[in-house]
Amino acid sequence: MLRAEYMATRSGFPHGSTDPLLELRRLSVAYGRLVALKDVDLRISSGELVCIIGPNGAGKTTLLKLVNGLLKPSSGEILFRGEQIESIPAYKVARCGITQMFQDVQLCPTISVLDNVMTGCHVWTRAGFLSTGFRRGHAREEEATMRASSLEQLNALGLTDRVTAMPRELSWGEQKLVGLARALVAQPSLVLLDEPYGGLMQHEIDKLSTLLRRLTCGGVTVLMVEHLTDVVMDVASKVVVLHYGEKIAEGEPQAIRNDEKVVATYLGE
Amino acid sequence: MAAVEVTDGITVEAGRARTRRRVLVGVGLAVVFTLPFWAGAYPVSIATMIGFHSILALGLVLLTGLAGQVSLGQAMFYGMGAYISALLTVRVGLPSWPSIFLAAAATGIIAAGVGFVILRLRGIIVAGVTLTVNLIFYYLIMSMGSVTGGATGMIGIPRLVYPGNLPYTAFIFLLVWLVVLALLVFSRNVVNSRSGRALRVLNVLSGGSEDTAQVLGINTMKYKVSAFVVAAVFASIGGSLYAHYTRVIEPSTFHVQLSVIVAIMVIVGGVTTPWGAVIGATVMICITEILRAVAPIVLGGPTGAYELVAYGVVLVATLLFLPEGVYSLPKRLKRRRRASR
Ligand SMILES: Nc1ncnc2c1ncn2[C@@H]1O[C@H](COP(=O)(O)OP(=O)(O)O)[C@@H](O)[C@H]1O
Ligand SMILES: [Mg+2]
Repeated sequence: MLRAEYMATRSGFPHGSTDPLLELRRLSVAYGRLVALKDVDLRISSGELVCIIGPNGAGKTTLLKLVNGLLKPSSGEILFRGEQIESIPAYKVARCGITQMFQDVQLCPTISVLDNVMTGCHVWTRAGFLSTGFRRGHAREEEATMRASSLEQLNALGLTDRVTAMPRELSWGEQKLVGLARALVAQPSLVLLDEPYGGLMQHEIDKLSTLLRRLTCGGVTVLMVEHLTDVVMDVASKVVVLHYGEKIAEGEPQAIRNDEKVVATYLGE
Repeated sequence: MAAVEVTDGITVEAGRARTRRRVLVGVGLAVVFTLPFWAGAYPVSIATMIGFHSILALGLVLLTGLAGQVSLGQAMFYGMGAYISALLTVRVGLPSWPSIFLAAAATGIIAAGVGFVILRLRGIIVAGVTLTVNLIFYYLIMSMGSVTGGATGMIGIPRLVYPGNLPYTAFIFLLVWLVVLALLVFSRNVVNSRSGRALRVLNVLSGGSEDTAQVLGINTMKYKVSAFVVAAVFASIGGSLYAHYTRVIEPSTFHVQLSVIVAIMVIVGGVTTPWGAVIGATVMICITEILRAVAPIVLGGPTGAYELVAYGVVLVATLLFLPEGVYSLPKRLKRRRRASR
């Protein structure tokens, strides 16, 4: 299955016009007796760049895990393009068009940069064990398409000279870019980013901001967890504040900065 | 366009290395496939045993080397192939060729069921559970005497029928090594493919993660079970061939000891490459044979205990000095030579 076909099989338009793209309804989850998220509501439209902020342990990573399917909520619903996804396994959520870059990136250490990015193409390809083992025609075609798309993506992120490198040979910033390439080559409509700016140097921060703006202009929606810095204020279209698992505020970055409740509980100190 | 750049980026040195490797493989193939025509009966029988063990070890390359699922159950699937093939020919009266395929299919289905249950467990526990299942299989074979012949096993398993007048041992030798070659190519294709990458991403033993794999859209359970089934089917084919070769089988051949030895073979050879399986099988069988010849003279007494000690020593030495297996030896030597220059 080629990329174009894959896009067509997903409901709606490639970068869907169904609104909202993602909706969380009274979402709650607990780890044992610790309530990590409580009755969180959230609506995200296509092309938005939403940033979740909150102190450590507020439940930000947990929220991403609920969206990508790794964690199942104890109550509430998650709708993606109007369809409920909270109870389907994570690998199927990925095929709906949701990808993520983890806080620690998690590249596969035993394969090259190019191979790592090619794993991002898994969602829109389908050659199985037998067809790859016997090198059937369609498996070879797919492999070539995956390779070309991945090289193109690496090229777009300025990593052309790193394709044959192993992950351990990369700087932290390069690892993050490769992680991003792996997420983007999947042709997602929603990208989840867990602290993408963490540990980056100034020129890498600027590069990432440019990249995120270009992404959202292209219709891709971004939901990211970050600290509220000037850089983030600049790229985010909406900020959501979590505090001990509850959403305490939501609005435009500037408004959040001036919100008394937020300032008192989070930005105050 | 970028693809072209990468291809161009491969240095002349790498190209030369590839040519050298191709020549080496060509010569190796020529030596192996002409062996029965110039070597004596003893070396041919040893090489046949290396072939059988290579088939078993090749199964573990995808399952253990790539997917990180340590299985100590290869002997069980080898036994299933042997017993199902033997039962179909001796008791049902089926011809021997189709029985090999039926045995492989049946073993694959059983392995899918077993794998579906076992592979829910994560990490090294899989090794313990597969070992236990192998033990259960052994006792089942022993206790179902009326069907399987119990401890004495089964006799009178028919030969494979083939055209021409090649001696049977030479025919089996060629067949086994053809199978080794086919499975080697199959495994190598999988390693360098979408499936191979999926297996590596979910390999928790080498720094991958099942959660990451899932978020990339990889159905981890499906891939782990597929690798388990492939390993089992490889073993089953080997087992059926073994049954039609020796024409007598007994349960002790398929005891956990063989599973452990096969696992040691792939570690010694190099667990992430199909070549490692063949190299490991060759090294270990040669050590066994040398010990069999030398130990009674030098040390006295039966060789069984010495063999186990030798396997242990070889395993520990590999883990200490060549953690990526004998396969990585040339690369290491080259790196050292370059460093000392
Ligand atoms: N796997 C887990 N098991 C138990 N508690 C967890 C687990 N993951 C997170 N928590 C707890 O849930 C709360 C929210 O965690 P998390 O979502 O990681 O916070 P954040 O990303 O906002 O720092 C914290 O109190 C954390 O200790
Ligand atoms: Mg976090």
